[in-house]
Amino acid sequence: MSEHLLRVDWPACKAHGVCAELLPEVISLDEWGYPIVHEPVKGDVLLLAKTAVKACPTLALRLTEPPPRPA
Amino acid sequence: MTATIAVQSAARNDGGLIPNVSEGPALLAGITQGPGLVSHRDRLGPAPRPRAEALVEMARDVDLRGRGGAGFPFAIKLAAAARRRAVVVVNASEGEPASHKDATLMTCAPHVVLDGAAAVAHALGTREVHIVVPSELPSLRLIVEKALRERAKAGERLKVELHDAQPWFVAGQAQAVLQLLAGRENLPVTAWKPEAVSGHRGRPTLLSNAETFAHLGHLARVGSAGYAAHGTAAEPGTTLLTLRGDGWDPEVREVAFGTPLADVLSNAEMGQPLLLGGYHGTWLRSSQLSGLAVSRKDIAAAGASIGAGVLLPLADGWCPLVRTAALVDYLAGQSAGRCGPCRNGLPAMAEALRDLVHRGGPAGRVEELCGLVTRRGACAHPDGTARLVASMLTRFPDEVDSHALGICRGNRREVFA
Ligand code: SF4
Ligand code: SF4
Repeated sequence: MSEHLLRVDWPACKAHGVCAELLPEVISLDEWGYPIVHEPVKGDVLLLAKTAVKACPTLALRLTEPPPRPA
Repeated sequence: MTATIAVQSAARNDGGLIPNVSEGPALLAGITQGPGLVSHRDRLGPAPRPRAEALVEMARDVDLRGRGGAGFPFAIKLAAAARRRAVVVVNASEGEPASHKDATLMTCAPHVVLDGAAAVAHALGTREVHIVVPSELPSLRLIVEKALRERAKAGERLKVELHDAQPWFVAGQAQAVLQLLAGRENLPVTAWKPEAVSGHRGRPTLLSNAETFAHLGHLARVGSAGYAAHGTAAEPGTTLLTLRGDGWDPEVREVAFGTPLADVLSNAEMGQPLLLGGYHGTWLRSSQLSGLAVSRKDIAAAGASIGAGVLLPLADGWCPLVRTAALVDYLAGQSAGRCGPCRNGLPAMAEALRDLVHRGGPAGRVEELCGLVTRRGACAHPDGTARLVASMLTRFPDEVDSHALGICRGNRREVFA
């Protein structure tokens, strides 16, 4: 399965932290409660990531294809 | 003859900074003849009308970069926007308080910029042009309106709309400009796609600052070979610089790429640390300056970036750490406060830096906060602030150590612990 990036819409994110609960493998919270996304998602984690995208109370998460150029 | 004119009409409302400007080799040639269309046309003839492919090719030939700070290759942007119903956006509002080159260019040579915008609009097959002017310089808007009336009378058929940018630092970020155009608050939002692909009302949008359009107009007029009459083989052309933009004696100057920094700064300034690229820029030690040229490649090799051409030599007697802490205080106040990591992280960084600089606090906390804000906002404001702070830590390790011992080595030799 292909790799996706989990991106945060920062103005929309209100530090509810639901994403970190659902996806502890890739998301931790900073000292103010905002998510730190550690790596791209793929495989089983991608399904969980899709759940997190739906579960975020402010719809602040999006899965995007990685950009064509190396980051 | 090099004449120096004070740009009286661009005087800031706060009565502060009136940059001096001298005639330059390309964009600022002929400014002593005034900003009117008649003298402009007498000198240069009608605005050029290249086709999109030709303009893309020329921009690629001379490796033209956007002059807003990021230095993105313009040919790529242009090619991406060269699709159906594109929109052209000229940003003449500089959010950075130490940059005055776009306002100065627009004041002294509005038709040089507008020729570029007209050439791009023609190449993209659109008539829709938006020009963003700084609300804190009402006289600039009057100059642009007058220039547009002159062009309309001369038969130019562009649909131009003016917009007043808010006087905050992040107002010039691409997404903030698109918000302004859409009638919303002039603040950044998250971009899911580049604006060249999906910008104003979802249409491909060619957005750049006034200087970039002026270069495009000049390039369209003189061609790649003519453009390369200035600069080096690797970096053809010229660039606008703002010197001491927030201090004494601010100056806007156009120089060819490859010009030694020693020709731009005074001897005394060459002996001082230099903040290059503005408040989101990078510090260089004075020992790194000799031999350095105004060149993207040289400057990148020195671990910095020319950004939007802002050069801030440290004033004599100042400590670079004290100066950085003051800038970060300002930058923290300019966070639009929308994104959690920026809203929380920048004030925390300002506090940690004050602690380091004035109370000998730990550098580790400052480093940690740099990491916590980078790439975690809708715009690059936190990234730029972190870059400034990180460069302070890497360039001035001795000063950081002495502050930890309570000694500041500015001329004032302040001992605070
Ligand atoms: S669940 Fe949504 S709002 Fe909450 S921290 Fe995660 S991204 Fe932010
Ligand atoms: S990153 Fe900071 S300055 Fe940029 S939009 Fe978010 S809160 Fe505003």
